[in-house]
Amino acid sequence: MSTSTTDTTGQPKIQVRGLRKSFGSNEVLQGIDAEVAEGEVVCVIGPSGSGKSTFLRCLNKLEDISGGHVVVDGFDLADPKVDINEVRRHIGMVFQHFNLFPHMTVAENVMLAPVELKKASKAEARKQALELLTRVGLAEKADARPAALSGGQKQRVAIARALAMNPDIMLFDEATSALDPEMVGEVLQVIRDLAQTGMTLVLVTHEMGFAREVGDRVIFMADGVVCEEGTPDQLFGNPQQARTREFLSKVL
Amino acid sequence: MVVAALMAVAALLFGATGAAADSTSSNSAVEGKTFVIGTDTTFAPFEFRDSSGELTGIDIDILKAIAEDQGFNVQIRSLGFNAALQALSSDQVDGVIAGMSITDERKQVYDFSEPYFDSGVQMAVAESNDDVSSYEDLKGKTVAAKTGAEGEAFAKSIAKKYGFTVKSLDQSASMYELVKSGNAVAVFDDYPVLAYGVAQDNGLKIVTDKEPGGSYGFAVNKGKNADLLAAFNDGLAKLKASGKYDEILDSYLADPKAAQPTTFWQLLGNSLPALLKGLQNTLVVTGISFVVAMVIGMAAGFMKIARNVVLRGIATTFVNIFRGTPLLLWAFMFYFGIPQLTGQPINIWVAAVLTLSLNSGAYVAEIVRGGIQSVDPGQLEASRSLGLGYGKSMQKVVVPQAFKIMTPSLINQLIIMLKDSSLLLAIGFAELLYQGQQIYAANFRVTETLLIVGVIYFVAVMLLTKLANFADRRFNK
Repeated sequence: MSTSTTDTTGQPKIQVRGLRKSFGSNEVLQGIDAEVAEGEVVCVIGPSGSGKSTFLRCLNKLEDISGGHVVVDGFDLADPKVDINEVRRHIGMVFQHFNLFPHMTVAENVMLAPVELKKASKAEARKQALELLTRVGLAEKADARPAALSGGQKQRVAIARALAMNPDIMLFDEATSALDPEMVGEVLQVIRDLAQTGMTLVLVTHEMGFAREVGDRVIFMADGVVCEEGTPDQLFGNPQQARTREFLSKVL
Repeated sequence: MVVAALMAVAALLFGATGAAADSTSSNSAVEGKTFVIGTDTTFAPFEFRDSSGELTGIDIDILKAIAEDQGFNVQIRSLGFNAALQALSSDQVDGVIAGMSITDERKQVYDFSEPYFDSGVQMAVAESNDDVSSYEDLKGKTVAAKTGAEGEAFAKSIAKKYGFTVKSLDQSASMYELVKSGNAVAVFDDYPVLAYGVAQDNGLKIVTDKEPGGSYGFAVNKGKNADLLAAFNDGLAKLKASGKYDEILDSYLADPKAAQPTTFWQLLGNSLPALLKGLQNTLVVTGISFVVAMVIGMAAGFMKIARNVVLRGIATTFVNIFRGTPLLLWAFMFYFGIPQLTGQPINIWVAAVLTLSLNSGAYVAEIVRGGIQSVDPGQLEASRSLGLGYGKSMQKVVVPQAFKIMTPSLINQLIIMLKDSSLLLAIGFAELLYQGQQIYAANFRVTETLLIVGVIYFVAVMLLTKLANFADRRFNK
């Protein structure tokens, strides 16, 4: 990304205006407005079917945008002239089902993007991969295949992979939902560490306690719109909307 | 091919006068030229393979003697009777000599030489059959005859009167097997053919007298190769005058009992070189075709999952056409059909590879599409979210996984192709089964020859499967 756009201090890191997304005749996002500041940790919560995952996937254009604008670091993703591959290098994404590449070793998973995109040498890329794997506590698994790992380990590798291009934004799409309960903690700890580095994070999560603890701000979505947003204390402690109260009463 | 084109032009330019002039003068019009002559595969004693695999027979000897006398060269292609005629119609060959009777019907489409042999039809039954000795005994029974041959015409002409059914087959050896197996009680065939077969212990006996029959002639396409026809007539007359003609006939008809293999091991030893040559052709045509099919199939498979409607439409149409039509039809189409449309002869290897690779390409396309679609869509999303483009993501992430899924199906397709290549015998492609046919057409050891051919196919397929599985384990760890 060119420096002229990254230096726009004061402008939000991510700006979403009137975002609409339809699958056929089904409008999943019905006009979303949201902002994420640089270094902010934003948690998106809401009932299933509320469109929160679709919203997150629009932030790196894994879903085509039907209407409105998603501006990341000054680049409008709705503009077809924007090179989405370039933008995505600066946005890491972690999926519910890990989506590790099963035909590669753990280290190769992490090395793929640097080798293919930064044209890093294999040796450099491996060195960096080992550093990242150390950071998520899995350096000793570098040469294992993903199939040999537990769910929690897989997700930590997936996080290391997403970090390999040194992104300044990380998106987490229900990163702990597919994990056995005893493995949730290890993954949340890695995310917690990331939040403390000052990276911009957007998390779709069902872990309300974690959202309250780590989030700078919480967005509650329902039926394709942002229903309510605020600090964790405001939203969890004193929700303003009936829909929010109803949801929280079920999950807390 | 160039020669054929020149001859065609010459024939058009000079027409009948050219031919008339040539028949009286020395044959400078054909001297030094090479003509491609089509013939039958299995019409002993007119054409067949001797025990060393060389094409021989009355037709071949007469043709070679005439060629020598007239100073032209011949390149003989044993295609099978019907295939040879189709090749003549499509100018794939310059002439046909195949123990072919001169009929009014054929005269409409071909120009014939003077008759070089007077034939006649006889009826034969299985050696052990004492119930059928005349046409009257055929009531309610089935007899065999050769498609398009004199024997078939005669059998059909009396079928109603005597109340029997005629089953037409392409090859003499197949007809004899039909009779020996009891699926037909008798066979009608040209007398020299029957006589030769009986002399080779083909398990039949002749029970009727010779019906006065037609005469055999050498044919060229209507209005083409008049020089060649004239040279044939001139050479034939000289052959008859010199006594060489009778010499050739006697060598096949007076004492036809040639040295034939007696034991199975002798048969195996004699036929193995020809069969291995056939196996080589089978493997080479399969190998080339599979590579081409992979390229076609990969392209069509990716087009089938493309967003572009036009690309998808092209790929779907291609797959539907070649999956929805028989392989054999395309063999005929490429070798006989399209050359007649374009006027451009086609090399038999090109026709063979086109046939196999387009047919297989359609199946490979479906295997590729299925393989790619069976890879979890999350894999592509994960790769794209890292910033890799579509092509790079396919290459590094999706295709390697898809290929692993596809491998067993591709191995299967390769084996199907190897076996399907035997269908190419219908256009005279000298693959393994074709070579087997050539051998039993001459020695009538059908069962044993087929058994040997079957074992060779089986071993080839087993080895190929082992090799493919080894490669699969090696590369798809």
